[in-house]
Amino acid sequence: MPVKLPHVEYEVPATVAEAVDLLAEHQDEASVLAGGQSLIPLMALRLARPAVLIDINGLGEMSGVSVSDGRVSIGAMTREYVAEESETVADAVPLLAAALPLIGHEAIRSRGTIGGSLAHADPAAELPAVALALDAELVVRSRAGDRVVPAAQWFEGYLATSRRPDEILVEVRFPAAGPGTGAAFQEVARRHGDFAIVGLAASLTLADGAISDARLAFAGLGDVPVRAADAEALLVGEEPSAELFEEAARRATDGIDPPADLNGSPEYRKKVAATLVRRGLRAAADSARHNSARHNSARHNSARHNSAHAHERP
Amino acid sequence: MAQIAAQRYTGASVKRSEDPRILAGRGRYIDDLKLPGMLHAAFVRSPLAHARVLAVDAAAARALPGVVAVLTGADLEAVTIPGQDPLFAMMAGPGPKPEYTLLATDKVRFAGDPVAVVVAESRYLAEDGCELVEVDYEGLPPVVSAAFALDPASPPLFANLGDNIIGPHKRSEFGDVAGVFAAADRVAEFRIDVHRHQNVPMEGRGCVASYDAGSGTLTVHAATQSVHVTRMGAAMRLGIDADKVRVVAGDIGGSFGLKIGASREELAVAAASRALGRPVKWVEDRSENLAASGQAREESFEVRAAVSADGDLLGLDVAMVIDTGAYPVMGTMVPGIIEMMLPGPYKLAALGFESTAVTTNKASYIAYRGPWASETFVRERVLDLLAKDLGLDPLEIRLRNIAPRTDPPFTMITGRPLAGVTAKESLERIAEVVDIPAFRRRQAEERARGRYLGIGLATFIEAAPGPRSPEGRSGPMGMEFMRLALAGDGVVTLFTGQMPHGQSHQTTLAQIAADEFGVPFEQVRVVVGDSDVVPFGLTGGSRSATMTGGAALHGARQLKGKVLDFAAHLIEASAQDLEIVDGQVQVRGDPDSAIPVAEVARQAASGEFGADVDTNLEVEASFDGGEGGWSGGSHCAIVEVDAETGLVRIERYVAAEDCGALINPAVVEGQIRGGIAQGIGAVLLERSAYDQDGNYQSATFMDYLLPTACDIPRIEIEHLQTVPLDADVNFRGVGEGGMIIAPPTLVNAIEDALTPFGVRIYEQHLPPARILELIDTADAG
Amino acid sequence: MDITVSVNGAARAASVEARKTLADFLREDLDLTGTHVGCEHGVCGACTVIVDGRAVRSCLMLAVQAAGSEVTTIEGLAPDGALGPLQQAMRDSHSFQCGFCTPGFVMQASAFLRAHPDAGEQEIREALSGNICRCTGYQSIIDGVLLAARRSREG
Repeated sequence: MPVKLPHVEYEVPATVAEAVDLLAEHQDEASVLAGGQSLIPLMALRLARPAVLIDINGLGEMSGVSVSDGRVSIGAMTREYVAEESETVADAVPLLAAALPLIGHEAIRSRGTIGGSLAHADPAAELPAVALALDAELVVRSRAGDRVVPAAQWFEGYLATSRRPDEILVEVRFPAAGPGTGAAFQEVARRHGDFAIVGLAASLTLADGAISDARLAFAGLGDVPVRAADAEALLVGEEPSAELFEEAARRATDGIDPPADLNGSPEYRKKVAATLVRRGLRAAADSARHNSARHNSARHNSARHNSAHAHERP
Repeated sequence: MAQIAAQRYTGASVKRSEDPRILAGRGRYIDDLKLPGMLHAAFVRSPLAHARVLAVDAAAARALPGVVAVLTGADLEAVTIPGQDPLFAMMAGPGPKPEYTLLATDKVRFAGDPVAVVVAESRYLAEDGCELVEVDYEGLPPVVSAAFALDPASPPLFANLGDNIIGPHKRSEFGDVAGVFAAADRVAEFRIDVHRHQNVPMEGRGCVASYDAGSGTLTVHAATQSVHVTRMGAAMRLGIDADKVRVVAGDIGGSFGLKIGASREELAVAAASRALGRPVKWVEDRSENLAASGQAREESFEVRAAVSADGDLLGLDVAMVIDTGAYPVMGTMVPGIIEMMLPGPYKLAALGFESTAVTTNKASYIAYRGPWASETFVRERVLDLLAKDLGLDPLEIRLRNIAPRTDPPFTMITGRPLAGVTAKESLERIAEVVDIPAFRRRQAEERARGRYLGIGLATFIEAAPGPRSPEGRSGPMGMEFMRLALAGDGVVTLFTGQMPHGQSHQTTLAQIAADEFGVPFEQVRVVVGDSDVVPFGLTGGSRSATMTGGAALHGARQLKGKVLDFAAHLIEASAQDLEIVDGQVQVRGDPDSAIPVAEVARQAASGEFGADVDTNLEVEASFDGGEGGWSGGSHCAIVEVDAETGLVRIERYVAAEDCGALINPAVVEGQIRGGIAQGIGAVLLERSAYDQDGNYQSATFMDYLLPTACDIPRIEIEHLQTVPLDADVNFRGVGEGGMIIAPPTLVNAIEDALTPFGVRIYEQHLPPARILELIDTADAG
Repeated sequence: MDITVSVNGAARAASVEARKTLADFLREDLDLTGTHVGCEHGVCGACTVIVDGRAVRSCLMLAVQAAGSEVTTIEGLAPDGALGPLQQAMRDSHSFQCGFCTPGFVMQASAFLRAHPDAGEQEIREALSGNICRCTGYQSIIDGVLLAARRSREG
């Protein structure tokens, strides 16, 4: 039961183009080292043993948050704490803002990156569920150029994505939330900061009191994050109510077949998933109402009101 | 109770003398040690729970640059002496003992069993080497449950035992068991299970062994609760005279019972150092610690309780099965303590107790804080279950059954007098601090809103050290030894076999000695951790407060007498007229006559006195525990259970504790809180999980979940007025109580919260998924 | 690989294997054994150090990645052996017992307090929830951080 990393070659590209060249050369033999908060422990336990590490921490061009054309673009190397502190993220991607503080612990978010989490694709992690719920676009680059992959086509299996071996994830684009949008990331975890047993990314937009857009995606229910499309369809056009959310919870969990592990049986996960839908929708609706009111009066300060995040404790 | 001379330090939260080092990153833990030429060890471990070892091929590993040696089980068998774990060897009763080698030779008995040790120039290289050692296994059916181990058809782990029963079935009866059960209004039956969990100190095991071929001496730098037990273990198994083995210990990063003696790995490292003639370091990594260092507490209890219609618990009849894991260490000793302690502070008139201990293909059952804790869990759970059936309040059923404090004291049905036990007072204090009727009202209101609050109470006693035997002949815990000397610089130096690993002995013992001798706290030094220097001793069993505290007190008194006898030659006065005040020897009440203690020491060392003057300012002290006494108390938890997720939040936690006279309240409270935290962890988070094939499921910190700062509430502590039993020494042990009493306190509270669902709880581990299962399967009728 | 890292204000040059963690580099190559390793898979927080102003886990970072960075370890908080204000508050609060988790807590709390000098108990608990202590039940540690924060506010 090892704890020391195996031997590995180490490359530090100076540009994204160099990183792409290295990937083209080493393909499957290489792993891209971003924040390293998942890759390094896997290597220490010798469960991952790439021949080459391509360290992209020095690539400033891959870091930062920007807005254009109703889209918020976040460089893949943007550290989680940077996104967490970003006013742009708080204002325009409230669901992401809600999820970020729930990722691991402070020291993890000091190093961990937005792109790293999405490329690692742990189905119990927060960001994959957020990306799926919001139909984020993942931009990957290879020598052949850029390819834009919708989140729905990104997650292919447990820790597996549709990124090709010669591609590097360079950017993630989220649609900017419209007025009247409220979001909540709810999760049940064994401890503060742990991966969720079940997590739910929920976002609602209200227009004239009715739901005009609804987005729900689960973490922890399978090998990939799971979108609750039926429940979303049910919600759109309706006015928020406890009965509606109850029915949404039923639809969202009807056909699911969650895994079993030390933390819970499939039945447990299913039950918690339904609870999270009820609670998540309630929190998202509250936040959406708040934001509608705020939008109507004046648009100012306290961007954090856009989102509610809850690590479940009764 | 006699007053301790000059009450200055004892009883005050004196700041720890350990802290300036530790807080500055200047602690010296085992992994911080670097010796010239030192090599690094890593172990090849079995991936299977139960298998024959057909062949070990280390050729490729030996050929790896940087690997210095690979020693297999067979290599080490040739250079060591077979034997048992030192703790087991010291304490196990008669009967056949399992035979096995230091590292596995013929077979492996749990997933993680060491098969070979790779010694290399760095730990990285040693681990590279481990990957190249090829072991050919032939799988055997794993014995993963106690139930299967009891089945004569299960394949025996140890061929020489013939089956998997390591502690044969044994039954004892105290009082008229049959009569009490026949006469009882009702007899309730339960099966109660306690799950496997484990110590998990933040620093794992480890050692640096260094053999000097020239002198034939072995030095082991160890993380151990007793340098002497480690020394005995190493001497025995390596076949070296004990006086040629020196064990040295520095700072130790926690233990909780894990680091007693010499583990198989540490002995293998010592043997490797001798074989290679170079120092070898092994520091257990976290996965090894979780999978292989040992676990505790997997026990089941079939309980029959005889009870009167109005709630008198008249008798218990308990059948226990304990799963001791693979290589016996502590497991077979636990049932005897449980039997003795089961009545607790209650008036139980009859106890039937039987036990069977089995071996299984899991890591060894080792000592873990309050090893007998399950007796308290069973008893306090049974009381709540009975209270529910009878419609009594948990406080009421306890107060009704607690033995009154009488003179002579009430004697437990298993034989020990409950001298000075304040269990009743502790429950009454809880009821003063926590307004239980107000809570019940709030509970009812919140239930109507779909929120589930619960309150739990539990009471325990701990023989720390326990009372003197009724005949008064023997002390409660054997003898404790201490050497004390006035050093040439005037520092009172205490040499103790206690080996602190968080308990703050260097502070607390100095407080006691400073007061008794009459010097400032800073003028006392406590020397620990060198088998060449300190007397025999062991930190464990909550013994140090009474036993070592008492040795320090009486030793300082003796040393002071000797110093005054000598000082009488310097000050023209008789020794009886002298005193020591604030580090000065003086004629009573005459500061003008004062000579600093350091000057007295210097004079004694000057060689200017004749043979008729005793200038040896050193004493060998011992202490038998005096009148002893019990520690104990009652705890109360208020929880909220989220019935939709199974998550538990502890809203309030109150501990009313009596651990005798407090040496250092902050240290005492740290022990209480730390123990409670481990108990909370056991209930809500921690489990040493095996699958049905014996694969260990909890080998990382992502699977074995320790409580964090968000899981442990603020803990309110009430100290009870102690009933002094001894003229001088009424400090009692407090290390284990929190771990013993928190699990039943918390489980009782959770069950109380779930009353509307009709939930009854017969187990200790309640992760959220299990709580929802209990709600779903309960008969809410 | 040859690297130069600024550790506790001094430039340290060394040649290290790429696979070596920052924690092992500090402990083995620089003899800064105040940084402890408790799990080596990024959960326990014992190895927490400050890199370029942020608390990070030194077992989840390669030494080569620290090239050019400013690293502060527990030794850097008490350069002459005298305790800094946070350490002193922790001593006054009897924060720790065995001391093994201590450096990680001190570093994490130190980084957190700098960014959140007015933090309350719950925020402190959450900020420290990635550090595991097995001895204390945490209350004494939280009290130490609260005391340090109060002293710093009161000047």
